[in-house]
Amino acid sequence: MTTKRIENPMPEPSQLTELIDSMSASTNPQTATTLQILHNLQYQHLWTSLQIHATPADMASSAEDPRPTLISGIPPHRVYTHPDEQLYMLERGLRDDDLRPERLFVIPTAQGQRWSLRRMAAVFDAMSDIEVAADDESDTVALPEGAKAEKLEEYYRKRAEADITKEWGSKRALLGMVDKGMGGEGTVVYYIVQEGEVKPRQN
Amino acid sequence: MDNPTLPIPISYISGRYLLFSIDAVTYLRREHHICGVLIGTLSQLPQQNVFLGLPLELMPEEARLLVDKGVACIVDEAKAHGGMESLAEEDRRQYLRELESQGLHASRLLSDRRDQNREQVLKKLDEKSRAKALKAKEKKEDKDVSSPASEAKEEPLDLVAPEPTTSTPASKNTGRQQAMGVTPATSYPPLPQPNSSQHLPPPEVPLSYPLFAHLSTRGYFLSPGLRFGCQYVAYPGDPLRFHSHFLTVSSEWDEGIDLMGIVNGGRLGTGVKKGFLLGGPQKSRDEAESEAERVESVRTFSIEWAGM
Amino acid sequence: MADKDEDAIRGTSVEATQIETDLSDETQDFRLLNHLNFLTDTASSSLPKRGEKDFEPNPTEFQADVLSASRQAMHNALAHPRLHNPNTQVIGIYAPEGPAPPPGVNLEDVSKFGGKGLNLHPDACVCVPIPKGQYFKTMGQADRWNRIWLLPEEALFLVERGSLDIRWPTEITGAADGEDAEELSIPMSLQAAYACFIGRGGLTLERYTVFTGLRRTGYAALRAPGWDDTQAESSMDRNQEHVFRYPQRRGAGLVGVLSQVFNWVRDPFCTASTTAGPAVGCGMHRNYVDVYRRLAMIPWYDPSLAAERDPLDTMPPFRVVFHIFKPSTPIKKTALPPPDFRIAVVNTRETTSIPTLEQIGTLLESTPLDPPRGEKMQRMLYMRLRNGYRNVILAVVDQGIVSYLRLADAAFGKEKLYETQAPSSASKRNGNYRNKKR
Repeated sequence: MTTKRIENPMPEPSQLTELIDSMSASTNPQTATTLQILHNLQYQHLWTSLQIHATPADMASSAEDPRPTLISGIPPHRVYTHPDEQLYMLERGLRDDDLRPERLFVIPTAQGQRWSLRRMAAVFDAMSDIEVAADDESDTVALPEGAKAEKLEEYYRKRAEADITKEWGSKRALLGMVDKGMGGEGTVVYYIVQEGEVKPRQN
Repeated sequence: MDNPTLPIPISYISGRYLLFSIDAVTYLRREHHICGVLIGTLSQLPQQNVFLGLPLELMPEEARLLVDKGVACIVDEAKAHGGMESLAEEDRRQYLRELESQGLHASRLLSDRRDQNREQVLKKLDEKSRAKALKAKEKKEDKDVSSPASEAKEEPLDLVAPEPTTSTPASKNTGRQQAMGVTPATSYPPLPQPNSSQHLPPPEVPLSYPLFAHLSTRGYFLSPGLRFGCQYVAYPGDPLRFHSHFLTVSSEWDEGIDLMGIVNGGRLGTGVKKGFLLGGPQKSRDEAESEAERVESVRTFSIEWAGM
Repeated sequence: MADKDEDAIRGTSVEATQIETDLSDETQDFRLLNHLNFLTDTASSSLPKRGEKDFEPNPTEFQADVLSASRQAMHNALAHPRLHNPNTQVIGIYAPEGPAPPPGVNLEDVSKFGGKGLNLHPDACVCVPIPKGQYFKTMGQADRWNRIWLLPEEALFLVERGSLDIRWPTEITGAADGEDAEELSIPMSLQAAYACFIGRGGLTLERYTVFTGLRRTGYAALRAPGWDDTQAESSMDRNQEHVFRYPQRRGAGLVGVLSQVFNWVRDPFCTASTTAGPAVGCGMHRNYVDVYRRLAMIPWYDPSLAAERDPLDTMPPFRVVFHIFKPSTPIKKTALPPPDFRIAVVNTRETTSIPTLEQIGTLLESTPLDPPRGEKMQRMLYMRLRNGYRNVILAVVDQGIVSYLRLADAAFGKEKLYETQAPSSASKRNGNYRNKKR
């Protein structure tokens, strides 16, 4: 009976581990969470123009609940459409893909993190002050022509109004939560969080 | 549907808040979006649990909201019923006479309806036999027969309404009518309405009251939410006609929220096409002078599964 | 509790599926009741089908009309008076001081009749001098003058469904001398009945809500020995403790075994068998069953061995307060059969968290052993597990809305999968046992 000698008992570190190792000098677990979700958005959900934003320094933070970070990026398809907006678009024959790609904020979190309404509100308040680097890709989308362009223009006008009246919902962000608990296998789940009472989608 | 006089007395019985007056229930539902939960047996359909009747149980939050709005007051019903011992002889007799006349009225109404129904049936039978006899004729007569009956059944049996002046065939029989016994819904009369000095203080409410009041102010109808796994179910309109929009959970501003709770709520809501609504007042009870101040400071967040 | 019997006894011609959606869903449209003509046609007691609801209000007149029609229908249904036909009217007299002999008989006379006089429940508070009708078969207690005495929940339920006319006693409302007491007694309103009966003798509104909910659908509900929250374990039982109790540390049972498990998990090497060597041991192993048997080193809880606990040795509200009998169970008030279900009532505003293991454990141990029986249970593993060896129902009342949860202690440890006969065809090739149903 021969015994095979195992040369390297440890598997190769994953790309994700390498990414986290290379990018985070600190041992802040929040940084690792942020990078893990960024990685997930980039490679599983094919988001582009991803950026990481720090939230204002005055936000309450401690060793247990580090200052939250934010990610922003452009999803390949629209993630959320308000039900009234959807109806408006349907009436004008517009589809999600006709619209310009839009940047969306993602709040990276890990299971077991302590959150509170105060923290959630602070992140939402911080979102308006964050400056996003100009999107280089937004111009590359082929603009539709003719009647559709007109409809689109009409839509964007209405949209600008709706942003003020909040009839199509107000501030929104994705809450990304990575499963890091006991037996956690790194799954990331995403939930749409919106400020105020926004009626649910029906599909 | 008569509008009740304000403030509406809410019965406080053994720590719970109840309404027994149908006019109050209808009014509060229509004007203040207060639904409560019907917990009583419908005497006309007593063997089922789908449609229930009076009394209406109010959450302490609902009672508090109405008291704070000045629409209702809280009456200690056990104490108020001590008043049965001091009824004046004259009031007692008058009340009994009133009940008897209601009972007589009811038995007349019922026998009228029975007679009407019998006539209907006879008429139908008659027409059927005629139709059979004259088979050659086209049968179009029996189409408009049913309307008077269906109108009659939609009318509520109103005991205090004035008696109809037109004499129906049945009113000939009134001589041998016996008054039916009546169990009134409320005790006022014979009891006098308690005056404001006897009202109880506003109900104690749970920490979730500000969120409840906030949503109610914004026009939502709210009902208890445990069977949907939340604190309140929020409806955009009267639950009689509309599906709910939100499963609602309240939290204090600095209270820890388990992220798994958000995931559970989001999943639970999305599964039934409802949003999960998380919210609460920015001010704690120590920081606010009144619950009203807390209500003012409520912020909410709507959560749905992103589908990715 | 959604079993077939429940549907069968509903007394309505509604299909089971419809009832399920109806009850679990939201407020029903009372317009549906318009189809019924309660007053003249007692035969049509079937429930109408549910109506459609909208997603959100819109400014159309149609929607407003439908809503106002729904509200009117609800108003009419709720405004329906409770009437008593003089020929069938049953009259009860409120007795605020509890059971008492009829007027003119004093208690000394009672003792002459062999002391059997007032052997009534002390919480009974309504006396029905001339009992008639079907309700008293499962409700009330008769005294030696053939009057029926009702407990507060029984009296209130009968008033609410329009089957009983309770009168204020003339001692309270007063009546001039020489007047006929019954003629001139004041009928109790529904409101008065709630004010007088809720809160009396431990009857909370939540318990009453559960009681009526079950009674309406035909179940008989009787108070269980654990009714009184203030009562702790009775002294008599304490003396007899050692007689029927399993020789185990007090408070063991389910909790005790679980803590043994946790101890083992924390320090698995304390087990003698593993310190001595491999768990299975060396030697010849001729079949898997032996191996599995040796590997079964984690202690498990056998509910069939747990001692029965006194119903009062539990922690309210996790204590059985109602014994429930199916409509098909024949009930003789003097010799009650064992109940079909045992119910504990929990108010969500007072108990905001799920029960602890200890609360559930003691609650379950206070119920008698009810092992899975019958051919079907023998055959089906999952039914056996679901049935458990003891069971109890929690009625969780959230502001008038009741959810029923059945708790049972499943005995996974008793189901030795390795001893079960594998399905004959597939088993030969594949030594591992696989349960057919997954």
